[in-house]
Formats: sequence, C-alpha cells, structure tokens
Amino acid sequence: MRSFLSTTSRPRRRLLTATLVATTALTLTACGQADDTSAGAASEGAEAAAPAEFDPDEEYTLRYAWWGSDVRHGLNQQVIDAFTEKYPNVTIVPDFTDWDGYWDKLATGVAGGDTPDVIMQEERYLRDYGERGVIADLNDFDIATDKIEEEILSVGEFDGGQYGIPTGINVYSVLANPAVFEKAGVEMPDDETWTWEEYQDIAIEIGASGQSVFGMQDHGYNEPGFMVFARQRGEELYTPEGELGYQDETLVDWWNIALNLQKNGGQPSASETVELETGGPEQSLLGTNRGAMGAWWTNQLTAIQTAAGTDLELLRWPGETEGERTGMYFKPSMYISMSADTEAPAAAAMFIDFMVNDPEAGRILLSDRGLPANTDVRTAVEAQFTAGDVKAAEFMKDLEDEIVDGVPTPPVGAGEVAAILARINSEVLFERMTPEEGAQQFRAEVEQAIG
Amino acid sequence: MSALSELSTLRKQKGGANSPTEKADGRWSLFFLGPWYIGLILITAGPLLASLYLSFTDYDLLTDPQFIGVENYTQMFSDPRLIKSLQVTAIYVFVSVPLQLAAALGLALLLDRGMRGLALYRSAFYLPSLLGGSVAIAILWRQIFGTTGLINQVLSIFGIEGQGWVSHPDYALSTLIVLNVWTFGAPMIIFLAGLRQIPEMYYEAASIDGATRLRQFWSITIPMLTPIIFFNLVLQLIGAMQTFTQAFVVSGGSGGPADSTLFFTLYLYQQGFASLNMGYASAMAWLLLILTAVLTALNFLLSKYWVFYND
Repeated sequence: MRSFLSTTSRPRRRLLTATLVATTALTLTACGQADDTSAGAASEGAEAAAPAEFDPDEEYTLRYAWWGSDVRHGLNQQVIDAFTEKYPNVTIVPDFTDWDGYWDKLATGVAGGDTPDVIMQEERYLRDYGERGVIADLNDFDIATDKIEEEILSVGEFDGGQYGIPTGINVYSVLANPAVFEKAGVEMPDDETWTWEEYQDIAIEIGASGQSVFGMQDHGYNEPGFMVFARQRGEELYTPEGELGYQDETLVDWWNIALNLQKNGGQPSASETVELETGGPEQSLLGTNRGAMGAWWTNQLTAIQTAAGTDLELLRWPGETEGERTGMYFKPSMYISMSADTEAPAAAAMFIDFMVNDPEAGRILLSDRGLPANTDVRTAVEAQFTAGDVKAAEFMKDLEDEIVDGVPTPPVGAGEVAAILARINSEVLFERMTPEEGAQQFRAEVEQAIG
Repeated sequence: MSALSELSTLRKQKGGANSPTEKADGRWSLFFLGPWYIGLILITAGPLLASLYLSFTDYDLLTDPQFIGVENYTQMFSDPRLIKSLQVTAIYVFVSVPLQLAAALGLALLLDRGMRGLALYRSAFYLPSLLGGSVAIAILWRQIFGTTGLINQVLSIFGIEGQGWVSHPDYALSTLIVLNVWTFGAPMIIFLAGLRQIPEMYYEAASIDGATRLRQFWSITIPMLTPIIFFNLVLQLIGAMQTFTQAFVVSGGSGGPADSTLFFTLYLYQQGFASLNMGYASAMAWLLLILTAVLTALNFLLSKYWVFYND
C-alpha cells in the first residue's frame, strides 16, 4: 500500500497545483471581462442602471442563434455582413440549426452557461425563457418599437417587460391550388362566406373526382388551425391568464371534421398523413401537386408555389362568417430576444434595432420572417417583393378589418403542446382513440405541461 | 478498471520492495495513465455523479436545480408514457436480439466452410454493422419502408398493396427490429472467430463414430460455442436497451406514430431536452442503468445452466 501511495502522492499534488493555477487564471480573465461590461451585468439587478453606451472604439463579439432553412441561413449572413460593415468593431458569430434541433440545442446551451447573445424566439417558448430570466427585458435598451402595431408587439410582452420584438407577421390560412380544383372539376370556394360544412363537401368531392388527388392535407398536428376554429366560437386555446380556454366539445368537433375527410377520401390515410407531417412544405400534397388545399402560413406561400411550379391562392379559413366572430389572427412569425447576461448588451441592442427597423435589413430579409412588422420598413421594401409576397401582403391588408384581436402569449410549457397535439392527433386518426378520449387526454396532458 | 487492476497486480508482484527504480516506474505508469484518468473523471465519472444528483432535483436547464428528494422516482410509477416506453423497449430487445444472433450464427456457419472470396463476403456482411446505427441508414430506412418506398414497389409486382410501414403504429416497431437484425455483422465476426477455435479433431472423431452433420452441429458446435453466444447475448442486450438513433431519426424525434416507437432513451431525451425536465430525465437514466444491470446479472446467473466452458 505504502509504495503505491508514495508513488502517486507527488504527481497528484502537482496536478492539483496545476489545476489551481488554471482555475485562478480563468477566474481572473472572467473578472476582467466582467469589468469591461459591468453596466450590462448590473442591468440584470437594477432597472434604473442605464445599459452601457455603444462605444465605436471597442471590440464586441456577439453570437446570434436562429433556426431555419438554407435560404434563411444565407439571408441572415447577408444581414450580419451589412451590419458589420456599418460597425466594423462588432463581430457576429452565426449559430444556426433546423427547427427540430434548435430548442434542444438552445436549452442545453443555456444550461451550460453558453447562452447566445441574440436569440431568435417563438411565441411558444417566449415565456419559458422570459419568466426564467434567461432573456432580457428589451425596454431597458434603446430599440425603437413605435413603428410596430400594438397588437403585434403586445404578444412579446408579459410581466411588465418586452421579452421579444416581433420581426414579421404571418397569417395561418388555407392555401389552394386552382389547377387541381379545375382538374377535379370542382369550383373554387368563395372564402368570404364558406362554412365548415361546405369545406368538407368540397374536400371530399375533390377526393372522389378520380384524379388521384386529395382535397386537403391533415393539419391537426399543429395548434394554429384549432385556434382559429375555437376563436370562431368565442373561445381560445390559452386564456391571457395562461390557462386552457376552450370546451372539449370544440376539440371533438375539430377532430370529427378530419375523421370525416379521412373516411371519405377528402384527406389521405392516417399513415400517409404521418409521413406528410415529417415531410415539410416542399413534400406536402400541395407542393407535389397531389392535393387541392393545405393549411400553411403566408410566408410559406412562395416556397410551396416554387415546389408546385404553379400559382396558388390564399383563402380565409371556412366558417369566418359562420360563428360568433372571426377566428383568424396575425401572428408574429418570430421574435428577436437578447440574452439577459450578454457581455455586450449595447451592441446586441444595436444589432436587434438594425434587424427590426433598418430598411437595409428589410431589403435583404423581405418576407422570410413574414411581412416586416415595422410598417415603414414594409412600405420601403414593397417594391422588391416577389409575386408571392405581394399576394400575401394584399391578403393581409384585406384581413385587417376582419381580424378582431391577437392571441394571448402562450403560457410556460406551451412548447410541449405541439408534440402532445401531434401525438394525440395521430391516435385519433388511427382510430386508437375516439375524439372524445383524445380531447380528455389532451386536456390532461396540457394541463400538466403548462401547470 | 482494467488499468487499476493491472496496477494492483504489479504492486503485489513487487511485494513490499520500494526501490527508487520502482518508484520511477510507478510515476511513469501514472503519467501514461493520466489521459485515461482525466477522461474517466471528466467524461464518465463527473457526469455520472452529476446525473445522480440531478435525479433528485427539479431541474429545467434554464434555472438552478431544486432538491426534491425521490419525487422523480415516485412519479415514474404513474407515468403512462414511461410504461409505454418500457414496453416498446422490452419488445424490441427480446425480439430483435435473438433474431439478430440467430442470423449472425447462421451466416458465420456458412462463411466458416471456407469458400472462395471469403474475405469479400465477410466484409459485405459486416458492412451493415458499420452503417446500421448511422443517421443516413435510418433516413434510408424511412424511405424504403414508406408508402411509396422500395418494399411496397416490390410488393406491388406481386399485386399486393402495401402500406406505409414506418408510419403505421402496428408496423413501425417491426421495421426497426428488422433494421437491428440486419446489423448482425459484429456478432457474426465474433462467432466466426469462435468457430475457428473448435478443434477439428472433435468433428473427425464424431464422423468416424458416424455422427451426421446435424448431430455434430448440436453436440459439438453449439456446446463449444456457448461462451461466445453468451458473450454476444450480453453485449447485444445492453446495446439494444440503449437504442436511440434509429428511433429518433425514423420517427423524426417523436417516437411516433402514436408512440409506437417510443424507446426508453427517446422518451428520456424528450423529457430532458424538449420538456425541460432534466431532473426527471436523469432519474430515468438511472432506472435504465438499474434495469440493464439487473438483466445482465440475471444473464450471468442463468449462464451457469447452459454455458459450457471447456477448461
């Protein structure tokens, strides 16, 4: 025993010393960094403390995280280049991934103390990060928001703070392919008056036309369609207090529509539906010319039109004039947030302001994040819009008078709800659960998630 | 572990002697073991202990963990999705591992007969094992077993209308079992080596006594091979219990359709990274460790009754 110990003790001691030296060095550098940006660190505690001024002679490094397609990665890189050309003392490191991996990666990064300085956010996760102090209240910084409509801006606001600034707006709508309608010998509906009954008849008629096309692609795996449906009845998926605000009966009716379509050939079989869900817009029924209609966001119009190689139309959801009120709503497509413990809050604020308010950034991004939320930017870049963007812009303009209000910011835990809905939706479509059982199960699981 | 035991045997051999050269030897051995120790502490032991601690906390990744005692463990008993994930994993393990070992043994017997181009065949059959756990193969699998995939195209030649195999809850798990069976290469190579170890004279003696091929197989090959079968069984069972990549990719991370491919590790991942319940996910990891340990211990206990060591 002795010999073993004696041979190890000295190197071990030496190792310990080395570790101590290394940690001390690290602590020292950490202190040095903290000194440079003491104001930023202080702003977390006291609201009164003004954030550090942007100093054009100091070097700043920011990490900017977003999700998206290759097209978006390219556009964002152009925005970064435009910004750093103006402010050469700022370096921006891009950090991007696809939607599925984004939230896993972000949460892991935050847990490891490696929060990106500027973070692309989505409404479902905004409260998760805001209420837990990961992202900063942007009211503390010099970012102009007066050109953004109040009902849009307000979705990024809770607990008395502005935790995200919407970059653009979208509408969840029914996309239709007139060519497929014509092939099936079915007339395009009048979307200002059509009812849910008429919608189902149309979808089934197209499926039965013998042209091997479907009327509609199932969209029950996602909350927005159900939100529209519930709002038409004067209900909400989430109340402003962050609780569930719909009747189970509404969800049952919602699923019965899908089941009716599935049984009568208006939409594909359950297993094809599952495959389509994982395929994305380009592989959708509309994108591959195998369907007449699909539920998509307005900023997906161009991508699907390109995939289909034909012009598509944007339609209102059925039942907008049938129920108590209209259900459609403008949704901020995504938000920009700032890490609460970024080392360069002043530079981060400038970069956010640039992306939201500068027409130069607007000209690069166009409608990638939905139509620009800043109305001045929207007008300034309208000339560059693609045919699809113009169509979306006009569609939204028409809706302005019809839309009653926005949806409340979803509660903490809402990020889980999409997965819960997708799972129970397939249980219902495979008829392993009745819509009634599904509605019960959904309520139980969501209440636990947002508890 | 092995390095430690080597050290202690070294020590024993030296008795109580304590000469300067031996001291220097010890130092050098530590120096060379250093990287391994650092890896053990930073990559294995550290996270292991951290996850044990986290399993007793409520930890959402974004804020500091809160100690809550054994609540995560008691919660598991009333979690229907956890029970579902255990069922899925159990079916997968107990169906795919025996099938995979049978395929591996069958192929090893064929290849052992010394045909021409043996090396080529051996590599060809081993290839799936290298690829099987990869993301690319899982994506390919999704295509092959899709509604318009290769399998259904072949079936349609015979007038059979197939369906989306990976997207139907009744069949999705089977496609993953087939994928695992397909990666029989590693156990096959070990079986091949085992077959070479069986002395030729046993077969000679048996054939002189008039034993048929089949008889020789059951009375010589199988008993002589039992230690190898046991070894493969233990390894493959442990590996199968940790299956993640295939299920994650084929179902797009959801474990779907309708939770039919919700493997235990996939549910663990969902809890930890999607639902931000890292405390609960850590507790699940420890449950998996315990279950694996129990299964392996059981395996060793049972091995007494069927494994034949020729020594």
